[in-house]
Amino acid sequence: MSDRESRNRAASEARRFDPYPGEFLEREFEIYDLLREHLPIARSETMSNTTLGDAKGGWVLTRYDDGSEILRDPELFSNQSLDYPVRPWIPQAIDPPMHTAYRRILNPWFAPEAMAALEPHLEQYANELADKMLEKDEFDFVAEYADPFPTVIFCELAGFPADDYPRIMDWKNIIMHANDGHHRGHELACAKAKALGHDVDPSQRLPQEAALAARAAAAGEVYQYFQSLLDARREAPRDDLISKLLAAKYEGERPLTQEEIEDTLFLLFMAGLDTVASALGLMIQDFAQNDVKRREFIELMDSDDPKRLGQAIEELVRVHSIVLLPRRVTREVSFHGALFRENDMVMVPTQASNRDSEEFSDPNTLVFDRFPNRHLGFGLGPHRCLGIHLARRELRIALQVFHRKCPNYRLDPNKAVNAFGGMKGLASLPLQVA
Amino acid sequence: MKVRIDSETCQGHGQCVFLCPEVFDDDEQGFGVVKQENVPKEAEEDCARAEANCPERAIHITP
Repeated sequence: MSDRESRNRAASEARRFDPYPGEFLEREFEIYDLLREHLPIARSETMSNTTLGDAKGGWVLTRYDDGSEILRDPELFSNQSLDYPVRPWIPQAIDPPMHTAYRRILNPWFAPEAMAALEPHLEQYANELADKMLEKDEFDFVAEYADPFPTVIFCELAGFPADDYPRIMDWKNIIMHANDGHHRGHELACAKAKALGHDVDPSQRLPQEAALAARAAAAGEVYQYFQSLLDARREAPRDDLISKLLAAKYEGERPLTQEEIEDTLFLLFMAGLDTVASALGLMIQDFAQNDVKRREFIELMDSDDPKRLGQAIEELVRVHSIVLLPRRVTREVSFHGALFRENDMVMVPTQASNRDSEEFSDPNTLVFDRFPNRHLGFGLGPHRCLGIHLARRELRIALQVFHRKCPNYRLDPNKAVNAFGGMKGLASLPLQVA
Repeated sequence: MKVRIDSETCQGHGQCVFLCPEVFDDDEQGFGVVKQENVPKEAEEDCARAEANCPERAIHITP
């Protein structure tokens, strides 16, 4: 293909860039490579901002350096960028300086020391789940391990009763996965939209309006759920995030309002339920098809060298990064020759940044001792993932425990993997013990 | 060798503490702090690795 043809192809991929359907994943890295090479700051029609009423346009940035620059500049690239079902989530959708004040409340609860104290419990729960799952030779790694492990741990931290796991998952799946190829999320969102009077064909993607209505209804239920828990903890505080939020002071001065607490819980809910589960599913799917890398990882795990293992986890996060980070341009600016206008959307897919060969040599290969490895899998700048220290531990422990008990496995040839796009991951990963 | 962390730039990824605990620590917010700005000889290599691996480029070493 000539350079000109490649450029045209890149422009056309950018114009119709839509990372949300599950099918996108089949060509994901090919598209990102094409864009990075020929159109690293690419204009896109689909990324435009519909929530501000004056949709203008959007951009997809695939180079590591450009993505980093965007994420480090919250003044020019705001996080007030998306459509939220009830209210914007705190602190994710808030800019500094308010963002900083909220993070000062939350940071200590997720600091390394606090998370290190959880390790024995993480280990014990991962063992319990793995033992149960491995009673059979065929199992769904996501449904039986990757989903419940971080979700139940998060529910305990937050103070959500463990018995509520099924409905918590259902709410999360409607809100996050109505239209991204997640079978269960789509099924639940269709049912919800139908109950709300929308005309629904479950064999198709939900129309935008019906999807938004379903998400808003589920989010409304989540908010109600929070309200009843908040009432209960006001009466009788416990050692959980709900009680801590009730006791917290904004800038050390005033208590948080009811809305602030709910919006913070909502963000923790969304971020705590999906991310580690998604990453774990993708990592194990990769290992199931790559005996060499799996054996290499197990060897490294058995060597009992925390530094090597820690580096390996970072590398797995780089290769299997799941987040797309959207920002909104706050004022007209020329960005490396591209004219960004006020309210344009800028999308930084970390999947693309993390495979830029300018920053990472041999970027598509897992190199467990890669150095340096300044990946963007946990984001960058002031919005760096709050749960980074929990996520790292959960990933390490989940991978260690599973591989200790089940070092040899493969994809189940009789059952399909269910992958979803956007904030990507797996809804189902059927495996067989090999 | 001397080292400092630019606290405006550090976002608390924790890579420096992981790579060179002799020199770096976390504060209660989870941000990196320098325990000893004069890097002991035996920690110089790890400290240089921490500088190179900081995703925010917040670590600065001077001879």
